[in-house]
Amino acid sequence: MNGLDHEIVELLPRLRRLARALTRNPADADDLAQATVERALVHRGQWRPGTRFDSWMFRIMKNAWIDEARARSRRGAVLAPEAEGERVGDAGAAAVEHRLAVGEVERAMARLPDEQRLAVALVLVDGLSYREAASVLQVPEGTLTSRLVRGRAALLADLGEAAP
Amino acid sequence: MIPSPETMAAYVDGELSPQAVADFEARMAADPILAAEVARQRALRARLAAAYDPVLSEEVPLALRMAATAANDPQRPRLGLPQWAALAACLVVGVAIGQSLSPPGGSLVSEHGTLVARAGLARALTTQLAADGGAVKVGLTFRDAGGGYCRTFLSRADRLAGLACRRDGRWIVQTASAWAPQAAPQYRTAASETPPAVLAAVDGLIAGPPLDAAAERAARDTGWAAR
Repeated sequence: MNGLDHEIVELLPRLRRLARALTRNPADADDLAQATVERALVHRGQWRPGTRFDSWMFRIMKNAWIDEARARSRRGAVLAPEAEGERVGDAGAAAVEHRLAVGEVERAMARLPDEQRLAVALVLVDGLSYREAASVLQVPEGTLTSRLVRGRAALLADLGEAAP
Repeated sequence: MIPSPETMAAYVDGELSPQAVADFEARMAADPILAAEVARQRALRARLAAAYDPVLSEEVPLALRMAATAANDPQRPRLGLPQWAALAACLVVGVAIGQSLSPPGGSLVSEHGTLVARAGLARALTTQLAADGGAVKVGLTFRDAGGGYCRTFLSRADRLAGLACRRDGRWIVQTASAWAPQAAPQYRTAASETPPAVLAAVDGLIAGPPLDAAAERAARDTGWAAR
């Protein structure tokens, strides 16, 4: 295994977590992670050693996700709201409870505009600094923080966290 | 005066300078409303972490691990996984099903309850690399726990997909099913649609990462001798 492959394998858990924050369900998330890895391997020559590998991969994921969202809206596919029951499958009661609680957060995330969801996913879920997140999104830091503030406010309102 | 939402977010996200943190905390100590707002913001971060951080400790699906490791050779960066994945998506577990197929080409023969590859299929498994084309395409090559080689294949002539392992100089077919090439949607990869039972079956056999192009060639050139 060469260096880049090793870096990718190391990054897979974080890629999957970010994908989960962006997409609506685990299957779509793994599709997105896979598409990201495939694109990264095709464009491996474009990564510049010395720059942050995670930022590079996240940027690829962002682009793959945006492309996919566009393709989906072009096809005019309207996805039926997912039945929770389908996903819990044969999981135990504790797992079901966890899924339902998590589902609330996931649904709130899914309602965010794409730009805000990306900002929230990169900073609040992955924990990137503002500077790194802005570089992944290729926007000025001020743009990132404004998306972040709006995304946060929408999530807080949606999740019913009482205002003080 | 209430700090801007940006300043509040920056505080919660650890983006303020030490001096700004000290100023902010001094204000917060004197302003319960601000303190409560910060608590809300922190609670949101905690909820997001509770929702998504468990993903980090999940086992990474086999198909994704393979996407990252099966393409060591830059000459064929896409050959490893998608081909194998399209194949795996069509696999049906169970030799019993395979036995009832008896394809017209006679690529499989049942001997004492096991399915053995013969004719063109056996030749392809023995001589072809994943990069080669032909009536039979070989997908993924890997070693099982005993050190023996296993290879996935697609046979257009037989309309058959399967997985065969090298035993005593023959290719024993572990799993086979009828297969028809399907147009793959642009974005969704076949791997994620692979039935978990099939992935589990492959996952149960594979020991270590799949072979890269160089190792595959070396294995072929040494006659698939088990370790």
